[in-house]
Amino acid sequence: MDSEKTLLDWEALRVGETFDRYEYVLTQEMIDKFRLGVMDEEASFPTIAHKVDVKQYNKKYTDNGSVNARCAFHCYNAPVAGRKIVVTAWIADKYLRRGKNYIVTEAVSVDETGMLIDRVITHELKQPSEVGKKWEGK
Amino acid sequence: MGREIKTFTIGDEIPSLIKNMTQEAINLFEGSSGDTGPSQFTDEETAKGVLGTSGTVASGRMSLTFAIEMLRRYFGPDVYNQRGTMDLRFLRPVRPGDSITFSGVISSVEREANGSRVQIEITATNQKGDTTAVGQGGAIVPNAYLPEE
Repeated sequence: MDSEKTLLDWEALRVGETFDRYEYVLTQEMIDKFRLGVMDEEASFPTIAHKVDVKQYNKKYTDNGSVNARCAFHCYNAPVAGRKIVVTAWIADKYLRRGKNYIVTEAVSVDETGMLIDRVITHELKQPSEVGKKWEGK
Repeated sequence: MGREIKTFTIGDEIPSLIKNMTQEAINLFEGSSGDTGPSQFTDEETAKGVLGTSGTVASGRMSLTFAIEMLRRYFGPDVYNQRGTMDLRFLRPVRPGDSITFSGVISSVEREANGSRVQIEITATNQKGDTTAVGQGGAIVPNAYLPEE
């Protein structure tokens, strides 16, 4: 376990906790790789693959892993290669369903010119091995 | 490309999209952000350790991306890339070798101040006929892209 990380205490996790800003430069190489991966030469939001809504969570917390249960995406403007993307992410919600813990993260990406790129909201199940057992029969 | 004027009718099916999943495609998707470490998506041992599965699975975000592609093709990039949404719940794993069909049906059309909000029910189904994801997506279609009333 990374000693600089905090072990997730789901009960103590505060809805509204906002993480340190995350910045990266979106390169043409990233876009090309993404488009090859999704088999779509016009795919416009390579930011999806960067998983920016959970990036800073994963930097701060350690847990048993997660499974993406639900994901929502809002498109505002396709990002431009070579520009810096600035991401603000926070804990939007947490809930229990059928005895399992979920965390909802949300993030908004804006580029260096101030252009709004996208918003992503992800519901992650924090007991992934439970899902794995269920999936093995499917 | 010129502006395409479209009529949206509740119950209409939109053109579907089929994606054949491979481990190479998953690796490219995961690696496109610059992250190269093993994960449940790229490494069987990690998948076994984290998920308890016998093989890798694709990130739900790949299905999200495919559903977005289907709607971008339907609405056109001018509309969808600036006013599009997608919200998917992931029900079953998508694995390398799977063929996933994304389909959609218009579920509502509502007038708004700046156009019409068109909502589409989305379903993703694998080659066995099992539903892997369901949800809703849509876009606000500006008046300039709608027929004159």
